[in-house]
Amino acid sequence: MDLKPDFNRFLAAVRHKETDRVPLGEVLIDYSIQSKFLGRNVTADDLAGQVEFWAKAGYDYIPITVSMMSPGKVTEESKITRVLKEMVLREKPGTTDPKAWNLEMTSFIHERPDLEKFPWEAAADIDFSKLHEVKRLLPEGMKVIAVSGKIFTLTWMLMGFNNFALKLVLDEALVAEVFERVASIQFKALEAIFSMDHVAGVWVVDDVAFGTGPMISPAAFKKHVFRWYKKVGEKCHENNRLFLMHSDGDLSMLMDDLISMGVDVIQPIDPSCMDMAKVKKQWGDRICLVGNVSNELLRSGTTGEIAARVKELLRDAAPGGGFALGSGNSVPNWAKFENYLAMRETCLKHGSYPIRL
Amino acid sequence: MGDHLETIKNAVIGGKHAEIKTLVLDAIDAGLDPNRIINEALIPAMDVVGKDFGSGKIFVPEMLVSAVTMKTGVDILKPLLGGDQGESRGTVIMATVKGDLHDIGKNLVTMMLEGAGFKVIDLGVDLSAEKLIEQVNSIRPDILGLSALLTTTMPEIQKVIAELKAQGLRDKVKVMVGGAPVDRTFAEKIGADGYGANAAEAVQLARRFTGAST
Repeated sequence: MDLKPDFNRFLAAVRHKETDRVPLGEVLIDYSIQSKFLGRNVTADDLAGQVEFWAKAGYDYIPITVSMMSPGKVTEESKITRVLKEMVLREKPGTTDPKAWNLEMTSFIHERPDLEKFPWEAAADIDFSKLHEVKRLLPEGMKVIAVSGKIFTLTWMLMGFNNFALKLVLDEALVAEVFERVASIQFKALEAIFSMDHVAGVWVVDDVAFGTGPMISPAAFKKHVFRWYKKVGEKCHENNRLFLMHSDGDLSMLMDDLISMGVDVIQPIDPSCMDMAKVKKQWGDRICLVGNVSNELLRSGTTGEIAARVKELLRDAAPGGGFALGSGNSVPNWAKFENYLAMRETCLKHGSYPIRL
Repeated sequence: MGDHLETIKNAVIGGKHAEIKTLVLDAIDAGLDPNRIINEALIPAMDVVGKDFGSGKIFVPEMLVSAVTMKTGVDILKPLLGGDQGESRGTVIMATVKGDLHDIGKNLVTMMLEGAGFKVIDLGVDLSAEKLIEQVNSIRPDILGLSALLTTTMPEIQKVIAELKAQGLRDKVKVMVGGAPVDRTFAEKIGADGYGANAAEAVQLARRFTGAST
C-alpha cells in the first residue's frame, strides 16, 4: 500500500467521503514510539525525525504544538517562567522551590489582584518558529495541523481547579476575565498560524469533560468558552482551514454544541465512557470522528485483541467516511509498541474503501 | 423551627454561601438544637446535592460551593455541640498513589469531605506505599482515600492495601478508592472497602464507614 502522505485523504474523510483508505489520526505520539518505529532516536528538537515518522507511519499531517503556555513548554528557561520567578522572588526573597513559579506545578490567579499582577504580556509571547521551520521538511502532500487554542484548561490551570470551580459560582466576573484574557491571546495566535499555507487546521486540545460528563455546566461552557470556540470555528472556515478538537471524557451533553460551533473533527471519542457505534449513529453524519482504540488495550492487550477492536471500529464508523482511526487519547510511552503497530497495520490492511468487514 | 431548617437546607442546596452564616445564627437564636441543624438541614442538603450531581442536574462548581456552604455552617455549630460531638466526624487521609501526579479528583473529594465535617489530611500526589503506611501508622485515620488517574498507576493502590495487611494495619483503617480508570470491580478485587465514582459518592462512603450519617 502506498503510504505517501496526502492531506486530501484526511480532508475527504472530514467531508464524509470515501477515498482510497481510512486515514490514521492522532494528536500526539510519544517520541519513544516514534523512535522505535524509525529505529533511531527521535527527540522534541528533532523536527526532521518527527516529520519522517508521521509520513512513514502513514499519517497525512504532522501535529505541531504552538500555543500559549503549552504543557511541556513551561520550562525553567521559558520567558513566562523567568518573569514569574522574578515576580515570586520580589515578593518572597529566598524562595528556592520551582513549585512557587512553574506554571506546570502551581496556580497563580486566586483573587482579582493576582489577575492584574500576572505577566500577560510574557504569556502572550508565543513561539511560532517550529511551525515555520517544519515547512521545508514536509514531503509533498503532507500538511501541518497546529495544536493550539486551549482555553478552558489553561484558565483553570492558572486558577487551580478547585479555586476556579468555586470562583465560577462565587466570583464569576473574575473567572470571566481570566477566560477572556486567555482566549484573546489564543485567538490572536490564529492570525499568525493561518498566515502559513502549509498549516491546514488548528487542533484545540482542551479537555472539557470527565468520564461522568461536562466539567462545568453546559450553560457555563456556552457563556465563557463556547463563544470563543465559535469564533475559532468561524476563523478556521473563513481561512479554509479545519477546526479539530480533542477532549477526554463523556461529551454526550456537549456534542450538539460542539457541532454547532463549527468543530469539524472530534477526537478521541474516549472509549472509557463513549461508545463509537452509538456516537457514529447519533452525530456521525455531522462531524468527523477520530480515535477510540482504548489506551488500556494498547497497554495491556494482545495484538490480536487490538486487531479485533480496530476491525470493529472500521466496520462501525468508517463506511461513508467521517472517520479516522487512532488511539483513545494519544499514544503514550507506556503503550506496547507491538500494539501500536497492530493498530496501525490493521487499519492499513482492512481500512481500504469500500470497507469489507 | 421547621422553617429555619428548611431555609438552611435550601441555602446549602442552592450554594448560598454568603447567607449561610446569618441563617445558622438565626436558627441558634431561635433556640434550635445545633445537632438538629446538622442532622436535619445540613446533611440532608448534601444528600440532595450528591443526588443532583449524580444525575447531571448540577456540576462540580455548584457541588463545591454547596460543600463550602455546608462547611461554614458546620464550623459555626461545632463549638456549640456538647461533649466530644464538636470533634470532626472522622479523620481521612487522602492521596494520589506513586507515579501519578493527577490531583483534580482527589482535591474535589478532599473539599467535599471537609464540607461534610471530616478532618482531612491531604498528603498530595505521587505517594509511595511506604510513605502512606508511615502516615497511617502515625495519624491513625479512620479512612484512607486513594486515587489514581492512570491505568499504569492503578496497581499501586493494590500495593498499598497489601502493605497495610503486611504491617497489621488493614483492619484499623477503611480504604476507599477512586479515579478515572478505577471501578467497583477493581475495588472489590483488590480488597478495598469501598469505591466512589465521584466526590459525592466518596462522602457517602466516608459517612457510612464512620457512622456519621446517624
